[in-house]
Amino acid sequence: MIFLLPVIGLAAGLLLGAETLSPAEMLALVTDPDTPMSHLILQWRLPRVLAAGCVGALLALGGAIFQGVFRNPLAEPYLLGSAGGAAVGATVALLVVLPFSAALALPLLAFLGAWGATWLVLAMARLTGRASIAALLLAGVAVAAVLAAVRSFLMLALSDETVSLQAVLSWALGGVQTPSWPELGLLGALTVAAVALSQSLARGLDLLGLGEGLAESFGLAVRRFVALAVLAAAFIVAVSTVWGGLVGFVGLMAPHLARWRHGPLHGGLMPRAAAIGAGLVMLCDGLARAVLPPAEIPLGLVTALIGGPFFLLILAREVRRG
Amino acid sequence: MAEVALEGRGLQFSASGSPLVHGVSTALVGGAVLGIIGPNGAGKSTLVKLLIGQLTPDAGEVTLMARPLFDWPRRERAALIGHLPQHFEPHWDYRVDELLRLGLDRAGPRASSLADLAANFGLVPILKRHWSTLSGGERARALAAAVLAPDPPVVLADEPAAALDVGQAAALMARLGKLADGGAAVAVVVHDLNLAARWCDRLLLMEGGRAVMEASPAEVLESPELDRVFATRFQRVALPGGGMVLAPGEAAG
Repeated sequence: MIFLLPVIGLAAGLLLGAETLSPAEMLALVTDPDTPMSHLILQWRLPRVLAAGCVGALLALGGAIFQGVFRNPLAEPYLLGSAGGAAVGATVALLVVLPFSAALALPLLAFLGAWGATWLVLAMARLTGRASIAALLLAGVAVAAVLAAVRSFLMLALSDETVSLQAVLSWALGGVQTPSWPELGLLGALTVAAVALSQSLARGLDLLGLGEGLAESFGLAVRRFVALAVLAAAFIVAVSTVWGGLVGFVGLMAPHLARWRHGPLHGGLMPRAAAIGAGLVMLCDGLARAVLPPAEIPLGLVTALIGGPFFLLILAREVRRG
Repeated sequence: MAEVALEGRGLQFSASGSPLVHGVSTALVGGAVLGIIGPNGAGKSTLVKLLIGQLTPDAGEVTLMARPLFDWPRRERAALIGHLPQHFEPHWDYRVDELLRLGLDRAGPRASSLADLAANFGLVPILKRHWSTLSGGERARALAAAVLAPDPPVVLADEPAAALDVGQAAALMARLGKLADGGAAVAVVVHDLNLAARWCDRLLLMEGGRAVMEASPAEVLESPELDRVFATRFQRVALPGGGMVLAPGEAAG
Protein backbone atom coordinates (compact mmCIF):
# COMPACT_ATOMS: atom_id res chain seq x y z
CA MET A 1 0.00 0.00 0.00
CA ILE A 2 2.79 2.42 0.92
CA PHE A 3 4.40 1.93 -2.48
CA LEU A 4 1.15 3.06 -4.14
CA LEU A 5 1.48 6.48 -2.51
CA PRO A 6 3.78 7.91 -5.22
CA VAL A 7 1.22 6.83 -7.83
CA ILE A 8 -1.58 8.50 -5.86
CA GLY A 9 0.60 11.58 -5.38
CA LEU A 10 1.41 11.68 -9.08
CA ALA A 11 -2.28 11.49 -9.99
CA ALA A 12 -3.17 14.21 -7.47
CA GLY A 13 -0.26 16.39 -8.61
CA LEU A 14 -1.36 16.11 -12.23
CA LEU A 15 -5.02 16.84 -11.47
CA LEU A 16 -4.46 19.74 -9.07
CA GLY A 17 -3.33 23.14 -10.26
CA ALA A 18 -4.47 26.62 -11.24
CA GLU A 19 -6.89 24.69 -13.41
CA THR A 20 -7.89 21.58 -11.50
CA LEU A 21 -9.00 18.72 -13.69
CA SER A 22 -11.33 15.81 -13.09
CA PRO A 23 -9.98 12.29 -13.74
CA ALA A 24 -12.19 12.09 -16.85
CA GLU A 25 -10.78 15.36 -18.21
CA MET A 26 -7.25 14.12 -17.53
CA LEU A 27 -7.97 10.86 -19.36
CA ALA A 28 -9.29 12.81 -22.34
CA LEU A 29 -6.16 14.97 -22.41
CA VAL A 30 -3.84 11.99 -22.25
CA THR A 31 -5.65 10.21 -25.06
CA ASP A 32 -5.58 13.35 -27.20
CA PRO A 33 -2.09 14.78 -26.69
CA ASP A 34 -2.32 17.41 -29.43
CA THR A 35 -4.41 19.98 -27.55
CA PRO A 36 -2.68 22.98 -25.95
CA MET A 37 -3.96 21.88 -22.54
CA SER A 38 -2.53 18.37 -22.84
CA HIS A 39 0.75 19.91 -23.99
CA LEU A 40 0.71 22.09 -20.89
CA ILE A 41 0.01 19.13 -18.63
CA LEU A 42 2.61 16.81 -20.19
CA GLN A 43 5.39 19.37 -20.77
CA TRP A 44 4.91 21.57 -17.76
CA ARG A 45 2.91 19.90 -14.99
CA LEU A 46 4.23 16.33 -15.38
CA PRO A 47 7.97 17.10 -15.05
CA ARG A 48 7.26 19.41 -12.13
CA VAL A 49 5.22 16.76 -10.31
CA LEU A 50 7.93 14.16 -10.94
CA ALA A 51 10.58 16.59 -9.65
CA ALA A 52 8.43 17.18 -6.55
CA GLY A 53 8.31 13.41 -6.04
CA CYS A 54 12.10 13.18 -6.20
CA VAL A 55 12.48 16.09 -3.77
CA GLY A 56 10.05 14.40 -1.37
CA ALA A 57 11.89 11.08 -1.58
CA LEU A 58 15.23 12.82 -0.94
CA LEU A 59 13.89 14.74 2.04
CA ALA A 60 12.48 11.52 3.50
CA LEU A 61 15.78 9.68 3.04
CA GLY A 62 17.72 12.58 4.56
CA GLY A 63 15.35 12.61 7.53
CA ALA A 64 15.53 8.82 7.98
CA ILE A 65 19.33 8.92 8.02
CA PHE A 66 19.43 11.85 10.45
CA GLN A 67 16.93 10.17 12.77
CA GLY A 68 18.96 6.98 12.64
CA VAL A 69 22.32 8.68 13.18
CA PHE A 70 21.12 10.90 16.02
CA ARG A 71 18.78 8.20 17.33
CA ASN A 72 16.35 11.01 17.69
CA PRO A 73 12.79 10.83 16.34
CA LEU A 74 12.65 14.61 15.96
CA ALA A 75 15.77 14.97 13.83
CA GLU A 76 15.10 16.14 10.29
CA PRO A 77 16.98 18.24 7.71
CA TYR A 78 14.91 21.40 8.26
CA LEU A 79 14.97 21.38 12.06
CA LEU A 80 18.64 20.38 12.27
CA GLY A 81 19.67 23.36 10.19
CA SER A 82 21.21 21.26 7.43
CA ALA A 83 18.60 22.38 4.91
CA GLY A 84 19.24 25.97 6.09
CA GLY A 85 22.95 25.43 5.52
CA ALA A 86 22.28 24.13 2.04
CA ALA A 87 20.08 27.17 1.39
CA VAL A 88 22.86 29.57 2.43
CA GLY A 89 25.29 27.74 0.15
CA ALA A 90 22.81 27.83 -2.69
CA THR A 91 22.04 31.53 -2.12
CA VAL A 92 25.75 32.34 -2.34
CA ALA A 93 25.95 30.32 -5.55
CA LEU A 94 22.97 32.21 -7.01
CA LEU A 95 24.01 35.71 -5.99
CA VAL A 96 27.80 35.80 -5.94
CA VAL A 97 29.91 35.81 -9.07
CA LEU A 98 32.23 32.87 -8.58
CA PRO A 99 35.28 31.85 -10.60
CA PHE A 100 33.66 28.57 -11.61
CA SER A 101 30.41 27.61 -13.33
CA ALA A 102 27.11 28.22 -11.57
CA ALA A 103 25.95 24.69 -12.50
CA LEU A 104 28.79 23.34 -10.37
CA ALA A 105 28.70 26.01 -7.68
CA LEU A 106 25.04 25.51 -6.74
CA PRO A 107 25.17 21.81 -5.75
CA LEU A 108 28.70 22.10 -4.35
CA LEU A 109 28.01 25.06 -2.09
CA ALA A 110 24.63 23.62 -1.08
CA PHE A 111 26.38 20.39 -0.06
CA LEU A 112 29.09 22.22 1.88
CA GLY A 113 26.44 24.34 3.61
CA ALA A 114 24.37 21.30 4.62
CA TRP A 115 27.41 19.41 5.84
CA GLY A 116 28.87 22.31 7.79
CA ALA A 117 25.55 23.21 9.44
CA THR A 118 24.93 19.60 10.51
CA TRP A 119 28.33 19.30 12.15
CA LEU A 120 27.86 22.67 13.82
CA VAL A 121 24.54 21.53 15.31
CA LEU A 122 26.04 18.23 16.42
CA ALA A 123 29.05 19.95 18.02
CA MET A 124 26.82 22.46 19.83
CA ALA A 125 24.52 19.70 21.07
CA ARG A 126 27.49 17.69 22.33
CA LEU A 127 28.71 20.64 24.39
CA THR A 128 25.97 19.64 26.80
CA GLY A 129 27.61 16.24 27.23
CA ARG A 130 25.47 14.14 24.94
CA ALA A 131 23.26 14.75 21.93
CA SER A 132 19.93 14.61 23.77
CA ILE A 133 16.67 15.47 22.04
CA ALA A 134 16.42 18.87 23.72
CA ALA A 135 20.06 19.78 23.08
CA LEU A 136 19.83 18.76 19.45
CA LEU A 137 16.61 20.67 18.83
CA LEU A 138 17.78 23.82 20.58
CA ALA A 139 21.08 23.75 18.72
CA GLY A 140 19.16 23.16 15.47
CA VAL A 141 16.82 26.09 16.14
CA ALA A 142 19.76 28.38 16.96
CA VAL A 143 21.80 27.38 13.92
CA ALA A 144 18.75 27.57 11.63
CA ALA A 145 17.95 31.09 12.92
CA VAL A 146 21.52 32.29 12.33
CA LEU A 147 21.57 30.71 8.86
CA ALA A 148 18.22 32.31 7.98
CA ALA A 149 19.61 35.70 9.03
CA VAL A 150 22.76 35.14 6.96
CA ARG A 151 20.64 34.14 3.98
CA SER A 152 18.38 37.19 4.31
CA PHE A 153 21.41 39.46 4.58
CA LEU A 154 22.97 37.92 1.49
CA MET A 155 19.74 38.30 -0.42
CA LEU A 156 19.37 41.97 0.52
CA ALA A 157 23.01 42.84 0.06
CA LEU A 158 23.77 40.96 -3.12
CA SER A 159 20.61 40.79 -5.22
CA ASP A 160 20.39 43.28 -8.06
CA GLU A 161 18.42 43.69 -11.22
CA THR A 162 20.16 40.69 -12.78
CA VAL A 163 18.95 38.34 -10.05
CA SER A 164 15.34 38.67 -9.03
CA LEU A 165 14.95 38.85 -5.26
CA GLN A 166 11.47 37.47 -5.73
CA ALA A 167 12.85 34.36 -7.45
CA VAL A 168 15.41 33.69 -4.72
CA LEU A 169 12.84 34.34 -2.00
CA SER A 170 10.25 32.01 -3.49
CA TRP A 171 12.91 29.33 -3.82
CA ALA A 172 13.95 29.82 -0.19
CA LEU A 173 10.34 29.44 0.96
CA GLY A 174 10.26 26.06 -0.70
CA GLY A 175 9.04 25.38 -4.17
CA VAL A 176 9.73 23.06 -7.05
CA GLN A 177 10.21 24.68 -10.43
CA THR A 178 9.44 22.84 -13.64
CA PRO A 179 12.70 21.29 -14.76
CA SER A 180 13.74 20.52 -18.33
CA TRP A 181 13.65 16.80 -19.17
CA PRO A 182 17.49 16.48 -18.97
CA GLU A 183 17.43 18.21 -15.56
CA LEU A 184 14.69 15.86 -14.45
CA GLY A 185 16.79 12.92 -15.66
CA LEU A 186 19.72 14.13 -13.55
CA LEU A 187 17.47 14.61 -10.50
CA GLY A 188 15.99 11.14 -11.03
CA ALA A 189 19.46 9.59 -11.27
CA LEU A 190 20.57 11.39 -8.09
CA THR A 191 17.43 10.18 -6.31
CA VAL A 192 18.13 6.58 -7.31
CA ALA A 193 21.73 7.05 -6.11
CA ALA A 194 20.40 8.42 -2.82
CA VAL A 195 18.16 5.36 -2.36
CA ALA A 196 21.17 3.08 -2.98
CA LEU A 197 23.36 5.16 -0.65
CA SER A 198 20.79 5.04 2.13
CA GLN A 199 20.41 1.27 1.70
CA SER A 200 24.15 0.86 2.17
CA LEU A 201 23.81 2.64 5.52
CA ALA A 202 20.84 0.58 6.71
CA ARG A 203 22.66 -2.08 8.73
CA GLY A 204 24.87 0.48 10.47
CA LEU A 205 21.83 2.58 11.40
CA ASP A 206 20.11 -0.52 12.79
CA LEU A 207 23.16 -1.26 14.94
CA LEU A 208 23.40 2.36 16.10
CA GLY A 209 19.83 1.97 17.35
CA LEU A 210 21.18 -0.51 19.90
CA GLY A 211 23.38 2.23 21.40
CA GLU A 212 26.98 3.07 20.62
CA GLY A 213 28.44 0.50 23.04
CA LEU A 214 26.56 -2.50 21.70
CA ALA A 215 26.93 -1.27 18.11
CA GLU A 216 30.72 -1.22 18.61
CA SER A 217 30.73 -4.70 20.07
CA PHE A 218 28.54 -5.90 17.17
CA GLY A 219 31.32 -4.75 14.82
CA LEU A 220 30.35 -1.20 13.82
CA ALA A 221 33.10 1.45 13.70
CA VAL A 222 30.75 4.00 15.23
CA ARG A 223 32.71 7.24 14.77
CA ARG A 224 33.63 6.49 11.16
CA PHE A 225 30.09 5.36 10.37
CA VAL A 226 28.50 8.50 11.87
CA ALA A 227 30.88 10.72 9.88
CA LEU A 228 30.04 8.82 6.70
CA ALA A 229 26.29 8.88 7.35
CA VAL A 230 26.28 12.64 8.05
CA LEU A 231 28.18 13.17 4.80
CA ALA A 232 25.66 11.04 2.90
CA ALA A 233 22.70 12.83 4.48
CA ALA A 234 24.24 16.23 3.71
CA PHE A 235 24.59 15.21 0.06
CA ILE A 236 20.97 14.05 -0.09
CA VAL A 237 19.68 17.19 1.63
CA ALA A 238 21.76 19.39 -0.68
CA VAL A 239 20.26 17.77 -3.78
CA SER A 240 16.73 18.18 -2.40
CA THR A 241 17.39 21.81 -1.46
CA VAL A 242 18.88 22.70 -4.85
CA TRP A 243 15.70 21.45 -6.58
CA GLY A 244 13.06 22.16 -3.94
CA GLY A 245 14.27 24.99 -1.71
CA LEU A 246 13.50 24.87 1.98
CA VAL A 247 10.73 22.32 2.46
CA GLY A 248 10.21 21.54 6.12
CA PHE A 249 8.81 18.57 8.05
CA VAL A 250 8.69 16.04 5.19
CA GLY A 251 11.93 14.55 6.51
CA LEU A 252 10.24 14.24 9.88
CA MET A 253 6.86 12.83 8.84
CA ALA A 254 7.85 10.32 6.17
CA PRO A 255 10.32 8.24 8.25
CA HIS A 256 7.89 8.27 11.18
CA LEU A 257 5.01 6.97 9.11
CA ALA A 258 7.29 4.35 7.54
CA ARG A 259 8.53 3.24 10.98
CA TRP A 260 4.98 3.07 12.24
CA ARG A 261 3.94 0.78 9.37
CA HIS A 262 7.12 -1.25 8.92
CA GLY A 263 9.11 -1.12 12.15
CA PRO A 264 12.52 0.39 12.85
CA LEU A 265 14.83 -1.71 10.65
CA HIS A 266 16.22 0.68 8.07
CA GLY A 267 16.53 -1.75 5.14
CA GLY A 268 12.74 -1.72 4.78
CA LEU A 269 12.13 1.67 6.35
CA MET A 270 14.18 3.71 3.84
CA PRO A 271 12.34 2.80 0.62
CA ARG A 272 8.99 3.14 2.38
CA ALA A 273 9.94 6.56 3.75
CA ALA A 274 11.03 7.58 0.26
CA ALA A 275 7.69 6.44 -1.18
CA ILE A 276 5.74 8.34 1.48
CA GLY A 277 7.89 11.47 1.04
CA ALA A 278 7.47 11.35 -2.74
CA GLY A 279 3.68 10.96 -2.52
CA LEU A 280 3.38 13.65 0.15
CA VAL A 281 5.38 16.32 -1.67
CA MET A 282 3.66 15.63 -5.01
CA LEU A 283 0.31 16.11 -3.24
CA CYS A 284 1.47 19.21 -1.36
CA ASP A 285 2.90 20.72 -4.55
CA GLY A 286 -0.48 20.16 -6.23
CA LEU A 287 -2.23 21.87 -3.31
CA ALA A 288 0.26 24.75 -3.48
CA ARG A 289 -0.80 25.33 -7.08
CA ALA A 290 -4.53 24.77 -6.54
CA VAL A 291 -5.40 26.66 -3.34
CA LEU A 292 -5.17 30.28 -4.56
CA PRO A 293 -5.29 30.14 -8.38
CA PRO A 294 -3.76 31.62 -10.40
CA ALA A 295 -1.20 32.40 -7.67
CA GLU A 296 0.91 29.68 -6.07
CA ILE A 297 1.59 29.45 -2.40
CA PRO A 298 5.05 28.23 -1.38
CA LEU A 299 5.39 24.46 -1.07
CA GLY A 300 7.22 24.91 2.25
CA LEU A 301 4.16 26.67 3.64
CA VAL A 302 1.87 23.72 2.80
CA THR A 303 4.25 21.13 4.29
CA ALA A 304 4.71 23.27 7.40
CA LEU A 305 0.92 23.53 7.88
CA ILE A 306 0.67 19.73 7.78
CA GLY A 307 4.00 18.90 9.41
CA GLY A 308 3.97 21.44 12.23
CA PRO A 309 1.11 19.80 14.15
CA PHE A 310 2.68 16.40 13.42
CA PHE A 311 5.93 17.62 14.97
CA LEU A 312 4.10 18.90 18.04
CA LEU A 313 2.34 15.55 18.48
CA ILE A 314 5.65 13.67 18.40
CA LEU A 315 7.29 16.23 20.66
CA ALA A 316 4.48 15.79 23.21
CA ARG A 317 4.90 12.01 23.05
CA GLU A 318 8.65 12.24 23.53
CA VAL A 319 8.32 14.67 26.44
CA ARG A 320 5.78 12.31 28.08
CA ARG A 321 8.26 9.45 27.67
CA GLY A 322 10.96 11.59 29.29
CA MET B 1 45.95 -26.76 30.73
CA ALA B 2 43.07 -24.72 29.36
CA GLU B 3 43.94 -22.25 26.63
CA VAL B 4 44.07 -18.51 27.32
CA ALA B 5 41.47 -16.90 25.04
CA LEU B 6 41.67 -13.26 26.10
CA GLU B 7 44.44 -11.70 28.11
CA GLY B 8 45.14 -8.21 29.44
CA ARG B 9 48.67 -7.39 30.59
CA GLY B 10 49.60 -4.34 32.61
CA LEU B 11 46.46 -2.44 31.60
CA GLN B 12 46.29 1.21 32.49
CA PHE B 13 43.57 3.70 31.66
CA SER B 14 42.90 7.24 32.86
CA ALA B 15 40.06 9.66 32.18
CA SER B 16 40.35 13.40 32.84
CA GLY B 17 43.61 12.74 34.68
CA SER B 18 42.13 10.17 37.10
CA PRO B 19 43.49 6.63 36.81
CA LEU B 20 40.52 4.26 36.46
CA VAL B 21 42.51 1.07 35.84
CA HIS B 22 46.09 0.83 37.01
CA GLY B 23 48.43 -2.01 36.05
CA VAL B 24 45.81 -4.78 35.92
CA SER B 25 46.73 -8.14 34.38
CA THR B 26 44.23 -10.95 34.00
CA ALA B 27 43.34 -13.77 31.65
CA LEU B 28 40.16 -15.49 30.51
CA VAL B 29 40.66 -19.19 29.85
CA GLY B 30 38.42 -21.50 27.90
CA GLY B 31 36.04 -23.55 30.00
CA ALA B 32 36.11 -21.25 33.05
CA VAL B 33 34.15 -18.32 34.47
CA LEU B 34 36.14 -15.43 35.91
CA GLY B 35 34.15 -13.28 38.32
CA ILE B 36 35.23 -9.65 38.64
CA ILE B 37 34.19 -8.25 42.01
CA GLY B 38 34.82 -5.07 43.93
CA PRO B 39 33.02 -2.03 45.34
CA ASN B 40 31.59 0.75 43.16
CA GLY B 41 34.34 2.71 41.43
CA ALA B 42 36.79 -0.20 41.59
CA GLY B 43 37.31 -0.08 37.81
CA LYS B 44 35.45 -3.29 36.94
CA SER B 45 33.41 -1.91 34.03
CA THR B 46 36.41 0.02 32.69
CA LEU B 47 38.44 -3.20 32.76
CA VAL B 48 35.72 -4.97 30.76
CA LYS B 49 35.66 -2.13 28.21
CA LEU B 50 39.45 -2.40 27.86
CA LEU B 51 39.26 -6.16 27.42
CA ILE B 52 36.64 -5.95 24.66
CA GLY B 53 38.39 -3.08 22.86
CA GLN B 54 35.76 -0.44 23.57
CA LEU B 55 38.48 1.59 25.27
CA THR B 56 42.13 1.74 24.23
CA PRO B 57 44.56 1.30 27.14
CA ASP B 58 47.06 4.08 27.90
CA ALA B 59 49.56 1.32 28.61
CA GLY B 60 49.54 -2.46 28.47
CA GLU B 61 48.10 -4.78 25.86
CA VAL B 62 45.10 -7.01 25.27
CA THR B 63 45.50 -10.15 23.19
CA LEU B 64 42.72 -12.29 21.74
CA MET B 65 43.76 -15.84 20.88
CA ALA B 66 47.41 -14.73 21.35
CA ARG B 67 47.05 -11.95 18.75
CA PRO B 68 46.82 -8.24 19.68
CA LEU B 69 43.14 -7.37 20.00
CA PHE B 70 43.24 -4.41 17.62
CA ASP B 71 45.00 -6.49 14.93
CA TRP B 72 41.79 -8.48 14.49
CA PRO B 73 39.42 -7.18 11.79
CA ARG B 74 36.53 -5.47 13.56
CA ARG B 75 33.88 -7.91 12.27
CA GLU B 76 35.89 -10.98 13.26
CA ARG B 77 36.43 -9.52 16.69
CA ALA B 78 32.70 -8.90 16.96
CA ALA B 79 31.99 -12.56 16.19
CA LEU B 80 34.62 -13.82 18.65
CA ILE B 81 33.68 -11.68 21.66
CA GLY B 82 30.18 -11.44 23.09
CA HIS B 83 29.63 -8.47 25.39
CA LEU B 84 26.59 -8.24 27.65
CA PRO B 85 26.48 -4.58 28.68
CA GLN B 86 25.53 -3.23 32.08
CA HIS B 87 22.71 -1.08 30.73
CA PHE B 88 20.82 -1.64 27.52
CA GLU B 89 17.86 0.32 26.24
CA PRO B 90 17.50 0.36 22.45
CA HIS B 91 16.68 3.73 20.89
CA TRP B 92 13.99 2.19 18.71
CA ASP B 93 11.33 -0.21 19.90
CA TYR B 94 12.77 -3.31 18.18
CA ARG B 95 10.84 -6.58 18.14
CA VAL B 96 12.60 -9.58 19.66
CA ASP B 97 13.09 -11.24 16.26
CA GLU B 98 14.61 -8.01 14.87
CA LEU B 99 17.04 -7.88 17.77
CA LEU B 100 18.04 -11.50 17.24
CA ARG B 101 18.55 -10.89 13.53
CA LEU B 102 20.97 -8.05 14.30
CA GLY B 103 22.85 -10.41 16.60
CA LEU B 104 22.89 -13.21 14.02
CA ASP B 105 24.10 -10.86 11.26
CA ARG B 106 27.61 -10.80 12.68
CA ALA B 107 27.85 -14.59 12.89
CA GLY B 108 28.53 -15.11 9.19
CA PRO B 109 27.93 -18.46 7.52
CA ARG B 110 28.15 -20.44 10.76
CA ALA B 111 25.09 -18.67 12.17
CA SER B 112 22.42 -20.84 13.71
CA SER B 113 18.91 -20.18 12.50
CA LEU B 114 16.69 -17.60 14.12
CA ALA B 115 14.28 -20.36 15.13
CA ASP B 116 17.03 -22.38 16.85
CA LEU B 117 18.33 -19.33 18.65
CA ALA B 118 14.87 -18.35 19.85
CA ALA B 119 14.17 -21.89 21.03
CA ASN B 120 17.49 -22.08 22.85
CA PHE B 121 16.70 -18.95 24.87
CA GLY B 122 13.00 -19.66 25.37
CA LEU B 123 11.97 -16.72 23.20
CA VAL B 124 9.64 -18.43 20.70
CA PRO B 125 6.39 -17.18 22.32
CA ILE B 126 7.63 -13.57 22.42
CA LEU B 127 9.44 -13.33 19.07
CA LYS B 128 7.00 -10.75 17.67
CA ARG B 129 6.75 -8.69 20.85
CA HIS B 130 8.33 -5.24 21.06
CA TRP B 131 11.12 -4.45 23.54
CA SER B 132 8.93 -1.96 25.44
CA THR B 133 6.41 -4.70 26.26
CA LEU B 134 8.94 -7.20 27.71
CA SER B 135 9.49 -7.94 31.39
CA GLY B 136 12.97 -7.61 32.92
CA GLY B 137 13.63 -11.34 32.61
CA GLU B 138 12.42 -11.46 29.00
CA ARG B 139 14.65 -8.49 28.16
CA ALA B 140 17.67 -10.19 29.74
CA ARG B 141 17.00 -13.36 27.72
CA ALA B 142 16.46 -11.45 24.47
CA LEU B 143 19.64 -9.41 24.93
CA ALA B 144 21.66 -12.49 25.87
CA ALA B 145 20.36 -14.29 22.78
CA ALA B 146 21.36 -11.38 20.50
CA VAL B 147 24.80 -11.06 22.07
CA LEU B 148 25.48 -14.80 22.13
CA ALA B 149 23.95 -15.47 18.69
CA PRO B 150 27.31 -16.12 16.94
CA ASP B 151 28.25 -18.56 19.71
CA PRO B 152 31.32 -16.48 20.65
CA PRO B 153 34.24 -18.31 22.30
CA VAL B 154 34.80 -15.31 24.61
CA VAL B 155 31.98 -13.76 26.64
CA LEU B 156 32.18 -10.76 28.97
CA ALA B 157 29.16 -9.69 30.96
CA ASP B 158 29.05 -6.44 32.92
CA GLU B 159 26.64 -6.84 35.83
CA PRO B 160 24.12 -8.69 33.70
CA ALA B 161 22.07 -9.62 36.75
CA ALA B 162 21.80 -6.10 38.19
CA ALA B 163 18.17 -5.51 37.17
CA LEU B 164 16.98 -9.10 37.59
CA ASP B 165 15.20 -10.83 40.46
CA VAL B 166 16.94 -13.67 42.32
CA GLY B 167 15.57 -16.45 40.11
CA GLN B 168 16.29 -14.61 36.85
CA ALA B 169 19.81 -13.74 38.02
CA ALA B 170 20.50 -17.38 38.91
CA ALA B 171 19.16 -18.52 35.52
CA LEU B 172 21.41 -16.05 33.69
CA MET B 173 24.48 -17.07 35.69
CA ALA B 174 23.64 -20.72 35.02
CA ARG B 175 23.55 -19.93 31.31
CA LEU B 176 26.97 -18.29 31.49
CA GLY B 177 28.24 -21.33 33.42
CA LYS B 178 26.87 -23.59 30.71
CA LEU B 179 28.73 -21.58 28.07
CA ALA B 180 31.97 -22.17 29.99
CA ASP B 181 31.13 -25.87 30.25
CA GLY B 182 30.91 -25.80 26.46
CA GLY B 183 34.45 -24.40 26.25
CA ALA B 184 33.85 -20.63 26.21
CA ALA B 185 36.03 -18.26 28.21
CA VAL B 186 33.66 -16.20 30.35
CA ALA B 187 34.17 -13.14 32.55
CA VAL B 188 31.36 -11.59 34.54
CA VAL B 189 31.25 -8.47 36.68
CA VAL B 190 29.04 -9.35 39.60
CA HIS B 191 27.94 -7.47 42.69
CA ASP B 192 26.28 -10.40 44.45
CA LEU B 193 29.15 -12.27 46.09
CA ASN B 194 27.01 -15.36 46.62
CA LEU B 195 26.29 -15.58 42.90
CA ALA B 196 30.01 -15.16 42.33
CA ALA B 197 30.80 -17.93 44.83
CA ARG B 198 28.27 -20.27 43.25
CA TRP B 199 29.04 -19.78 39.53
CA CYS B 200 32.62 -18.57 39.13
CA ASP B 201 35.78 -20.67 38.89
CA ARG B 202 38.08 -17.78 39.79
CA LEU B 203 37.54 -14.34 41.23
CA LEU B 204 39.40 -11.11 40.55
CA LEU B 205 39.00 -8.67 43.44
CA MET B 206 39.50 -5.02 42.45
CA GLU B 207 39.81 -1.81 44.40
CA GLY B 208 40.57 1.72 43.17
CA GLY B 209 41.47 0.54 39.67
CA ARG B 210 43.94 -2.07 40.91
CA ALA B 211 43.76 -5.86 41.16
CA VAL B 212 43.91 -6.77 44.85
CA MET B 213 43.98 -10.53 44.33
CA GLU B 214 42.93 -13.19 41.83
CA ALA B 215 42.35 -16.68 43.15
CA SER B 216 39.73 -19.38 43.62
CA PRO B 217 36.37 -18.23 45.04
CA ALA B 218 37.07 -19.92 48.38
CA GLU B 219 40.42 -18.16 48.76
CA VAL B 220 39.07 -14.73 47.82
CA LEU B 221 35.88 -14.97 49.86
CA GLU B 222 37.69 -16.17 52.97
CA SER B 223 40.40 -13.54 52.67
CA PRO B 224 40.39 -10.59 55.09
CA GLU B 225 41.14 -8.45 52.01
CA LEU B 226 37.50 -8.87 51.03
CA ASP B 227 36.33 -7.28 54.30
CA ARG B 228 38.86 -4.48 53.94
CA VAL B 229 37.97 -3.70 50.32
CA PHE B 230 34.20 -3.66 50.96
CA ALA B 231 34.65 -1.94 54.34
CA THR B 232 32.45 -4.46 56.11
CA ARG B 233 32.93 -7.52 58.29
CA PHE B 234 31.30 -10.33 56.35
CA GLN B 235 29.63 -13.19 58.18
CA ARG B 236 30.69 -16.40 56.47
CA VAL B 237 28.32 -19.34 56.85
CA ALA B 238 29.60 -22.71 55.68
CA LEU B 239 27.08 -24.78 53.73
CA PRO B 240 26.59 -28.48 54.58
CA GLY B 241 27.50 -29.62 51.06
CA GLY B 242 30.57 -27.40 50.81
CA GLY B 243 30.90 -23.76 49.83
CA MET B 244 29.69 -20.82 51.85
CA VAL B 245 27.20 -17.99 52.00
CA LEU B 246 28.30 -14.44 52.79
CA ALA B 247 26.23 -11.87 54.61
CA PRO B 248 27.46 -8.32 55.18
CA GLY B 249 28.04 -7.59 58.84
CA GLU B 250 28.97 -4.36 60.60
CA ALA B 251 30.78 -1.64 58.78
CA ALA B 252 34.48 -2.09 59.35
CA GLY B 253 36.46 0.62 61.08
